Amino acid sequence: MPTKPLDEEAIFNAARRIEAPEDRAKFIAQACGDDTGVAERVRALLDMHERDSGFLKPPNQTADYEPIAERPGARVGPYRLMEQIGEGGFGLVFVAEQQEPVKRKVALKVIKPGMDTKQVIARFSAERQALAMMDHPNIARVLDAGATDSGRPYFVMELVRGIPITDYCDQNQLSPRDRLELFIAVCQAVQHAHQKGIIHRDIKPSNVLVTSHDGKPVVKVIDFGVAKAIHQQLTERTVYTQFAQMIGTPLYMSPEQAEMSGLDIDTRSDIYSLGVLLYELLTGTTPFD
Amino acid sequence: MPDVTQVLAAIDAGDNLAADRLLPLVYDELRKLAAAKMASEQPGQTLSATALVHEAYLHLVGEQQFENRAHFFAAAAEAMRRILIDRARQRKSLKRGGDRQRLNLDNLEVAAEQTPDDFLALDEALAKLEIKDQRKAQLVKLRFFAGMTNEQAAQALGISTSTADNDWAYARAWLRLEIEGPRAN
Repeated sequence: MPTKPLDEEAIFNAARRIEAPEDRAKFIAQACGDDTGVAERVRALLDMHERDSGFLKPPNQTADYEPIAERPGARVGPYRLMEQIGEGGFGLVFVAEQQEPVKRKVALKVIKPGMDTKQVIARFSAERQALAMMDHPNIARVLDAGATDSGRPYFVMELVRGIPITDYCDQNQLSPRDRLELFIAVCQAVQHAHQKGIIHRDIKPSNVLVTSHDGKPVVKVIDFGVAKAIHQQLTERTVYTQFAQMIGTPLYMSPEQAEMSGLDIDTRSDIYSLGVLLYELLTGTTPFD
Repeated sequence: MPDVTQVLAAIDAGDNLAADRLLPLVYDELRKLAAAKMASEQPGQTLSATALVHEAYLHLVGEQQFENRAHFFAAAAEAMRRILIDRARQRKSLKRGGDRQRLNLDNLEVAAEQTPDDFLALDEALAKLEIKDQRKAQLVKLRFFAGMTNEQAAQALGISTSTADNDWAYARAWLRLEIEGPRAN
């Protein structure tokens, strides 16, 4: 009999490192001796420990508190950053110059701290083939993704110099008919993606840009594939993990996305967001405040 | 009112009581920041608590280096916990009252949220853990509410990373068992 009181914590921490179930059971029996109460506690704790590693675990294990260090002039992979053209909730957007294999200007988005770089890139890679199949004049191509020297994920996209569709319509005081025409192009772009098996997941005005080609407005839906790679936490059913993680106004998000009910989202989520966008284009406000 | 950099400087200089003065400052800043964000960000934008804490740090402390900056994150974790608890309570009472008005709690809304009940249950369990083992409860707050990594939290608590790792595994299992009870076999 051990002289000091049995310490469930010490036994738990030793036992959780033993892989083989029989060895582990033997160890617990030995360590707890006659004290079946402690043995039971340890088994229950191990059960919890094994069951769901997502409990309480913030998804951003690589988060740190340094600001994004990438600045114009810096090199990110084969790209040289030029000017910063945007700052969103998820990071900074730069114009970047690619040297190899072709020389061109692209948009490069560096994701802010708080995302697990490996996971983001893995999710992007999983969809890369499908993304490459998309070819539509109203979809900005996603070209590349990787990690910066400081370990942040980045995405490279076709450079679109445009403004959000809602702003464009208001600034140019477009009639409802013209607004609908632009909106139809958005629908066609999304339809194209859906036929290739790609769901956008984050359709909102700032991802639907309007640029001018030869004086005619052209819609470009940006960030295909990006939302999936960095938004995954919305659909991953990790109990409790998300409390502290998502704070925002999910105005364009479909109910199944917002509720994180565990139902996998499908193309209908995009349709829902399109509906909200249409509502906003025609009434100037979103349906839910 | 002293600012955060002054308090951190005082802690660096050895004034242990100074740490208590951080919480109200950080709490205020986080609430303000969240409110400002919600008002100015593009609709549809989501904000994470971790990013919020990060921004508060940049805003209040900036580029200055402090040996004891971990104290800031301890205060931020506690502040974030209070903000989220307040909101869970509020959401719960709103649900009962059937009030459809916009929440006045700085217009914070949670996109992907569990029920407020779950969250309050977690907080209750965390309070019990705090009585039993303050260090482990602190570790959970740092990691869960301030989004710190194991290494950062270990450094903040002045313990080794392997100790922090053990504490974390045990605290998580303990909390979950406390909330859900043992599984029937």
